[in-house]
Amino acid sequence: MMNTFFRRSIVLLLALLLLSACSHEAPLVRSARQEQAIDFNLRAQRAFMRGDYQTATDLYESALQLDSAIENIDGIAVNLLNLAKVNQALGKPAVAQRYLDRLLSDKALRYPLVHLAAAATQYGLIRLQAGDVTAAKSWADKAVGYCLSDCKLNGVIANLRANIAIQSNDADQAVYWSEHAVSANKSETQVEYANAIRLLAQSKLLKREFRAAPPLLEEVLGIDKILGLPDKIRQDLLLLAQAQDKLGGAELAAQYRERAARIAATSLK
Amino acid sequence: MVLVVVSGLIAFRQDYFVRNTAVYFFAPNAQGLSKGMAVKFIGFKVGSVQEISMQSNASVKVKLSLDNDYVRLIGQDAKARLIKEALVGEGVVEIIPGEQQVRQVTENSVLNFERGVDAGSLVENLTGQLQPILADVHQITSSINNPRGDVQQILKNLNQVTGGMRETVAQLNTLAQSGNMLVQSGNQKLDGAYVKVDRALDHVNASLEAVDKAIPKLVGKADATLDNVQSVTADIKHITSASSDQIPALVRNTNSLVQDGQDTLKGVKKSWLLNDFFPKQEETVLPVDSYVAPLPVKP
Repeated sequence: MMNTFFRRSIVLLLALLLLSACSHEAPLVRSARQEQAIDFNLRAQRAFMRGDYQTATDLYESALQLDSAIENIDGIAVNLLNLAKVNQALGKPAVAQRYLDRLLSDKALRYPLVHLAAAATQYGLIRLQAGDVTAAKSWADKAVGYCLSDCKLNGVIANLRANIAIQSNDADQAVYWSEHAVSANKSETQVEYANAIRLLAQSKLLKREFRAAPPLLEEVLGIDKILGLPDKIRQDLLLLAQAQDKLGGAELAAQYRERAARIAATSLK
Repeated sequence: MVLVVVSGLIAFRQDYFVRNTAVYFFAPNAQGLSKGMAVKFIGFKVGSVQEISMQSNASVKVKLSLDNDYVRLIGQDAKARLIKEALVGEGVVEIIPGEQQVRQVTENSVLNFERGVDAGSLVENLTGQLQPILADVHQITSSINNPRGDVQQILKNLNQVTGGMRETVAQLNTLAQSGNMLVQSGNQKLDGAYVKVDRALDHVNASLEAVDKAIPKLVGKADATLDNVQSVTADIKHITSASSDQIPALVRNTNSLVQDGQDTLKGVKKSWLLNDFFPKQEETVLPVDSYVAPLPVKP
């Protein structure tokens, strides 16, 4: 009796497993070359995270070569974007721009819009870093055009626009875009959220609302310390010093500057 | 009925149905020995430990029961050795064969006993040998770091000497530039400068002497350290050689085990039943950072 029940249970279980196998989607089959490209990409990402930019460049180049050979359009776009970022980190904006040009000016392949939006945003940031505000604004507009559905770059583009406004000394636009950026980045990465708050603080300083800046800068300083980003920590301290100068706190301002100078002395970014 | 079967099984396990020869050995203590423990000869089980008893002289008498089929292979000069076949688990009594020509063991023969080196003891032994090396390294680094140590003193002296030389050279330059002064009181000043150079050279000599004295000590220490390292390396080579039975296969084959594990995991990840549980790896875009070092805000 028990034996029969046990046997039936086994048969039923096997039948269920077979059914689930039949209804299961066919597994995604990838070629050995694509697997290898993924491997290169992931290794490059790890190299980038530990600050080994040269290794990251070599690995992303290898991944790009493989993706180009098998015409993996998504992979080509991803690796071109990454190569642009690594070269920017290496202090080679011209090389970074060339990679982005390959993506943005390609007439033969149709890349996903989300990658084109990322490329345009990156281009805008590079131009802004070079002080070319007009070009940066133009690229920000293009990025918005590409950033349709399934695009999570709205917060980043808002940060870019806020920064453009600050560098153009347009206080009202700066406050508008940085407030928009704070709200758009709240649910996104901490890095972008911190960038947005810093930009808002800068906008307040530009608008001569000096009292509003220190609490924002203290908040962003806390985040940057958690993230361990010396260059940004130093910048937060310098902005705090600037705010204290305007508020008549010369002694406090000197302390902030001293702290910033000590961080600068470490030469770590 | 069950009782009879169980008793039969126990009797079978204890070799009651096999014709046996009892032999003995004496051990200083009973550590690692237990009743029923297997007795092996060239890797085959040839008997078991039948009885362990304490003698009036505080030694331990161990009775082994050997299967008669194998007794002819074991000479009177064979040794009983207590070993462990793996890092964990029970030990066994291994019979080490003696000379072929010697007469075989008979009932109540007494074998010599020795404790074999098990994996744990080997590791302990290695640790013991590594400790003096670490101590030497520690001593050398402490000596280098000690501000009053030979090396630091030599460096200090050399610094002083180079400082003195720099000063002397500067003075010579000054002298050369002021030609008039050199003509007027050249001899006197040059003499002074030469005295300083001589002193500086004396310092250098003294420092070199100190270095000469210190280096043999350091070299001696380094030699001893290297000797230790070589000796330990030789031991490790010996232990890990294929002929050594002391290192368990588990340790020897760690690499292949890891490889096997990775292969198995890959296989599991690809199997249709489980592949949904593992995230599919894709090429990813690096995270965006819109930070641009701000230009100074104009008031």
